[in-house]
Amino acid sequence: MYVWIWRHIPGGVPGKLFGSLLLFVGAVALLFFIVFPRVQNSLPFNDVTINQHGTHSTVSPSPSP
Amino acid sequence: MSGMTATTDRAVRAARMPGDGWRMAVRGFGQLLITGGVVILLFVVYELWITGLYTAAQQHKLLHNIEQEWLHHGGVGEISTATPAEIKHIPIGSGIAILRIPRFGKGYHMVVVQGTGYSDLEKGPGHYTDYNSAMPGQVGNFAVAGHRTTYLHPFYNINELKPGDPIVLETKTMWFTYRVQNIPRTKGYPEIHYQEIVNPDDVQVAYPIPDQPNLDAKPTLKLLTFTSCNPRYSAAQRIVVHALLEQALPKGPGVLPQSLGGTA
Repeated sequence: MYVWIWRHIPGGVPGKLFGSLLLFVGAVALLFFIVFPRVQNSLPFNDVTINQHGTHSTVSPSPSP
Repeated sequence: MSGMTATTDRAVRAARMPGDGWRMAVRGFGQLLITGGVVILLFVVYELWITGLYTAAQQHKLLHNIEQEWLHHGGVGEISTATPAEIKHIPIGSGIAILRIPRFGKGYHMVVVQGTGYSDLEKGPGHYTDYNSAMPGQVGNFAVAGHRTTYLHPFYNINELKPGDPIVLETKTMWFTYRVQNIPRTKGYPEIHYQEIVNPDDVQVAYPIPDQPNLDAKPTLKLLTFTSCNPRYSAAQRIVVHALLEQALPKGPGVLPQSLGGTA
């Protein structure tokens, strides 16, 4: 997969390096701003409250970041 | 010429050997595993540090808002004397008091927000709107949940709170100093240990009279209860700390409770 991507980025080695960096930053941003914020509340790590179901049930109406 | 063509053909034939498909599949699978590992590491980085940046920014905003509100008489005003109807109208996620815990450091301060939904707790420690939870300084139990390891981890060192440690809440006109302590068995109250490790569904720790089954039991003491996850980096249990109100001090110029280095 990575070989395929490397082959398809234009611009010689400097262009390929820059392109790869751009793709990496894009992927990290996608994870940090969209994927992780959505995924984390399905995981138990951030449960700090006590409630009847043992999991999180009180969801406030204010939007998530 | 024909010789060269033969060489190229041989090279091509050599490049496509039996088992190439397998090799490619295995290589692809290996790259997938490495990618998965990197994603999980990034998730850890996100949870432990990036979430803190969000909370820090939110706290900055909350502090500004609550100070403006106190200065310009907006919002509900003094929260300890607010009526249940007024408390019901406090916007979820807005700041209600400033929390200081000297044990956690001289400069430690967090704006406590109303509500314990995910988005509330991402801003700072959250006050339970369930369990008939009281406001600071009120009779009953001021119950607050906070993150232990993520979102600026306001309760990271909650396990280090010991009997005698002050917990100070600043409201519009008051300083409320609670003290971590065991609550002896008194009329209507069971004996309550200052620190408890409980299951995530042991809601009674946050009741107006904690650790007994009746949510509607009439409280007479002014208690504070913190909940967070336990052990650190896990959510298998909850750690709970109880404190009792010791002093209610009206704010004024130069007035600072003793627990914060003042003389009052």
